[in-house]
Amino acid sequence: MNKFKNKVHYESPCDSDNDWTDSTGDSKYSDSESSVPEWDSDVGEDGELIFIKVKNNANDEVNAPLLENCETFKLRSDFKRASTRRSTKGRIFKALKSRKAKYDSTSGKINEYESTVSKNSLEDNNKFVIIQVSKNMIFNSEKNCQIEKLFGMSLETHMDGKTLIVANFLTEAKAIYIPRVKVGYYLLKINGIEVNSYNINNMLQRVIEDIESPKLTFQVVTGGFNIDLVKLLTLKNSPENSLTQLLKDSMCSVLYICCNDVEYQSNDDKGVLYCYPRPYNQNFLYNTRGAYVTLNHLAPKSLGTSEPVVSTVLYNNTLINVTYASHFTDLLLLAVPNKNLDLFCAKKLIGYVVKILEFLYGSLKSCFTKPNNVDKLDGLFSRIFVHLLFDNYKNASKEEGKVNTMLFEEFVACHAVTLPLEVKIQVDDAITELEAADYREWTDDVENFQRLYTVIGACLYYSGHLLSSHLRDEDLVEINAYLKFNSILRLSAEKELDKLVMWKEVFIKEHRSQNKNDRNENRIPDGRWFLLIVGKGHFILATLMEAGGCTEDAIGVTSPSPFYVEECESCLELLYEVGLHKYLASWFSSNTLPQVETTPEYLTKYGRKMKDTLKSDNLRTTTLKLSKSQPDLKRRHNSSDQINSGISSADNPINNYHSMSHHSLYHQWYNSSQKNYRHSSNLDISYSEDSNSLKSNSEISEERVTGRRADREQKARRDSSGSDSDWDRQDGSRTSGNIDMTDIRKSLLNELNNVAVHRITAGEENVLFHFVQLESEKGVLIAPMKTIEMQANNVLYSYIIASFKKACKKIHDLLQYSMKFKKNHAPSNPLNKILVAVREYGSLFEVPHEVLNQCGITKKNCEPFLFWVVGRVFSEPEPRELYICYHESVPQDLTEVALLLSYLE
Amino acid sequence: MSAIVIAVATESGVPIFSRKRGNNENIQFSTIASLHGINMFSKCHNLSVINSQVENGSILWKEYYKSVTLIGIVTGGLECDLELLLACIHDVMVFCVGKKELENLKNIDQLKRDLRQCYPILDYLLESLDPNSVPSMTLVLDLTQSILCSQAQHLQQVLDTYAERVTGRWACLSIHGHLVATSSDFYELDPRESRLLLLLAAAQDGAPLRDTLVYLPYMSPDVAFRAVTCKLLADVYVLVVCGATPALSQIDEIVLQCWEGYAQIIKEAKLVHPRNFPGSITFEPCVLGIFLININRRRCVFSRHLQLSNQKGRGMSGSHRMDILRTFYVTSARDLAPELNFREILDKDSDESLGKITETYWSSEYHKCHAQRSTNLLCCVLYAPTIPTHTMRLLTSQMLQEFLTNKDIHW
Repeated sequence: MNKFKNKVHYESPCDSDNDWTDSTGDSKYSDSESSVPEWDSDVGEDGELIFIKVKNNANDEVNAPLLENCETFKLRSDFKRASTRRSTKGRIFKALKSRKAKYDSTSGKINEYESTVSKNSLEDNNKFVIIQVSKNMIFNSEKNCQIEKLFGMSLETHMDGKTLIVANFLTEAKAIYIPRVKVGYYLLKINGIEVNSYNINNMLQRVIEDIESPKLTFQVVTGGFNIDLVKLLTLKNSPENSLTQLLKDSMCSVLYICCNDVEYQSNDDKGVLYCYPRPYNQNFLYNTRGAYVTLNHLAPKSLGTSEPVVSTVLYNNTLINVTYASHFTDLLLLAVPNKNLDLFCAKKLIGYVVKILEFLYGSLKSCFTKPNNVDKLDGLFSRIFVHLLFDNYKNASKEEGKVNTMLFEEFVACHAVTLPLEVKIQVDDAITELEAADYREWTDDVENFQRLYTVIGACLYYSGHLLSSHLRDEDLVEINAYLKFNSILRLSAEKELDKLVMWKEVFIKEHRSQNKNDRNENRIPDGRWFLLIVGKGHFILATLMEAGGCTEDAIGVTSPSPFYVEECESCLELLYEVGLHKYLASWFSSNTLPQVETTPEYLTKYGRKMKDTLKSDNLRTTTLKLSKSQPDLKRRHNSSDQINSGISSADNPINNYHSMSHHSLYHQWYNSSQKNYRHSSNLDISYSEDSNSLKSNSEISEERVTGRRADREQKARRDSSGSDSDWDRQDGSRTSGNIDMTDIRKSLLNELNNVAVHRITAGEENVLFHFVQLESEKGVLIAPMKTIEMQANNVLYSYIIASFKKACKKIHDLLQYSMKFKKNHAPSNPLNKILVAVREYGSLFEVPHEVLNQCGITKKNCEPFLFWVVGRVFSEPEPRELYICYHESVPQDLTEVALLLSYLE
Repeated sequence: MSAIVIAVATESGVPIFSRKRGNNENIQFSTIASLHGINMFSKCHNLSVINSQVENGSILWKEYYKSVTLIGIVTGGLECDLELLLACIHDVMVFCVGKKELENLKNIDQLKRDLRQCYPILDYLLESLDPNSVPSMTLVLDLTQSILCSQAQHLQQVLDTYAERVTGRWACLSIHGHLVATSSDFYELDPRESRLLLLLAAAQDGAPLRDTLVYLPYMSPDVAFRAVTCKLLADVYVLVVCGATPALSQIDEIVLQCWEGYAQIIKEAKLVHPRNFPGSITFEPCVLGIFLININRRRCVFSRHLQLSNQKGRGMSGSHRMDILRTFYVTSARDLAPELNFREILDKDSDESLGKITETYWSSEYHKCHAQRSTNLLCCVLYAPTIPTHTMRLLTSQMLQEFLTNKDIHW
């Protein structure tokens, strides 16, 4: 109990912050070292926390770490961890720490070891620029800096602490360098000798002594590919100059202007409260703000229209969409180039940005007037822009400029996954347990112990897809926007997280919109709300917690409670123990529920021939493989459903392929899970020697609950009598004890076994290429996995998907008239009556010959390849939109498709 | 719906004219100045504001010859055509006063007075954005409304001789403001120019014979031609573009000589209106309206009185059908003919084209629209809501086939 008390004590804000300098504080924590979590030192002064550790998976990235087994590396990481603990409190250590954290975070998208990154990038972009600087030139350096004097430029150190980056040029020296060398390039060599921050001074000395003019070798840095999500997320200060420069060049910009007279006059910058990227005078949005402010003012007052939504402007030959968001008399402007984000997405983006800002700060005004908030905002906006500019998904859309056509789902809602019912129950069960927060067994002092937080809801993501949400719709929309535009979802999809913990105070919508004077009985308490995000592997669990009301009031700076973090972590661990991560990995690649046709050419005459020849080959291999796996399966399972399904779908090689992959995955998984099982059963025995109920509770689920409760009570009793040291072990293995693992695993296995291929289109062949079912009210959509295009790896399919997404934007825009009309019968601006009536909109597309040729379909034997993209709104039972893309050969009825799709949920 | 178009002298900021349609108030001078100021300010910063969207509408600035700026504001209508509207209005200005006058802008007061004569034409153009009215002249901005009749071939010969007699080249015959027949060389004119000529004839309603000085915006923006309109019968005009001679009195005689014997044919052709299709073409009863477009010639035929027998339309009023088809064409069906797409500034970096679309449809509780393209013809059809999609496709393609092969159709 002692330890728990300690924790509670620690959570009280007066300790966590004011004791930084107190040496007694240091000693106090030194004895409870084991309870201090590894993220502790990263808690900011405002109580916020962002802690990310990415797993170094050799096969995770193309740029695999080269020095994984390097001795120094291991030593360093050891050192780091030790130092984390030692330097928890104490100002000097803290300073050291933040630098360490930075160092750590440079790990980049590649790994934790920076030199690997630079080595890799060396190989990646082998472009160098060599400049010879005349010895006779001596530049005026105000700072009396040797580098400036000799070369006329200033350098800064890369986050790895070694590499030298060009930070700026003196005006006199610009002629020498520009345009060949740009800010942000690495200074690699002087006179052919490699330089870094350690030897630069020696090198300069040598240059001074040398009679010859020095030759400088710069490495060209092609911006985006060195962008590092982890680094950006953990950023505590303003983003580095090279990134700011990059954003400046790309014409992304954000500006917040206060337009009321009082503040306009008093403010030095004529009402501009925030502007990024800076400096002000280089920001085109800042320079031209007059136009937008005037228009924003003029449109509603003198023209009788609504406030402007977006202006498309041409600047420096770049087409830029400037979006508006008004907040009383203030104006938020956001500019993104059209090539990165088209009009459709830009309009959506501003909405999300406003949502994120309000969610994080309560209102736009308080966001931009909060003191010392500039660095945080810089970080936030740089992340948003980087998210939009660079697409790190490892698929065809990597080419720049193609990005914007690929975004439709991303910008309309949160991408959810339909899981089989039994899996969904497991997931929901895990989250519910977290939410229930039944912590009785951890304290016997129930009367005096008040909880710190109520969990209002949580949502769980896997690889960027929403698995389950127990949040209010509006909260989900905001949390999803926050996770998405901060690239957290992308990070979780691209890398395997070792540990991610984020803690932030938030302002939920219900609270924001609540009338202060409303004395309604059901009003939410005047509390505070916190968002806790915990990640592991590809999972992200976001939990919304409330302080106040029935829980303790949070006063002052509130840092994360290790207890609740552990709770969330153990929730994820539970899912791991169930084997959900493995299940999902195979589920995501299974292309079922419903299945889409990823090889469209099979629907042509030529394709059918191709398929026939393939089929005969395939059948042979299938039987071979099956014969191998059959005995295994038979031994472990009496049912051979899987095999049957494999054969029945053999007429379609794709189905076949997938079911084959199931075999192997399943096989592998089964083996590993068996190991797991043994392991966990050991654990079971270790602490539940006296609970027989555990063994019997696997039969009926209702019984299981009672069994669980009984078990828990027993444990609680034992705890109270037992020693304190039981605590940690208890905590870790609690979950595995409460739920019968064998039972769940079995059910999951069966589920995977019975993966039936579902079709939602009519006709003999599967003619469905893609679909999106959007519930904009809920902010959720269902569609094939984001990786489906990559899985298909097919030119024709990619072409179809690109057309589908472009067409969807147009259809979506049109259908909004109907949606808006249904929502609001007397809109302020009269809607076009004819457009309001449209419920379904479809277009028939023809694939150009070039694309067909690439798929091996020559002009000779090719009838035109036609496919439909159709969208429809349904107002009953709740408004939703359905978009489907299918081959022209079989006519489809969207109402029927929607019905079939709804059965799958 | 409300639409406002303002013309301002770019340098001085003096308003040249302002036209409006819909239920909005007149725009104040100070507002015009502010709007113009926004454009000037952004120009100073090498920024050009191309388009600004408001809810259900948009605001657009367009500058021509560095001398005249057009500002358009539309809400609640077919705002996607605002850019096209401004381009058309600019054409009208050139048509009336010539390019030189607009470029130099020496005497703004004179220009204002000169432009006053084209106000009726401007108002005709503005009605194209209003989805809730019966347009008298402009159904859509980029197409010339026509009537297809079997007499067209015959009338063409007459037009050729008439044009020759008055030493002109381009002549056409219009009935109810619809283009019926043309001289053989008429298509040398830009479609936008020929549409302006028709609008001119409509704007001069009533005058039996009249000549006007016009500048053809694309063919000869600097040298004026003489457009002679002559009323043959009620609602029937013959139009010719010619040089300074012959004098109007001579033309009067020539008209009489040329057209005297063809009154009967013209009367027959006049009977085709408002069905606008030759009698030999029949339609299924489920077809409520049709909008046929000849893409190369930028001509369109609209018909809502498809059944020959005089049966009353059920439920939907005729003008509503027209609105639906027009809205369908402007918002969706135009994608089938990318060559009709009018956008001056497209981002070269982003691929905004939708790809090749061959068919498109809308369906609502009250009606269905379907558009299909075959070579040069684009056919938009309004169906009853009970028709299944695949039947629509079948019927439309059958109709298209008929239009391509029927001998009575002369574009």
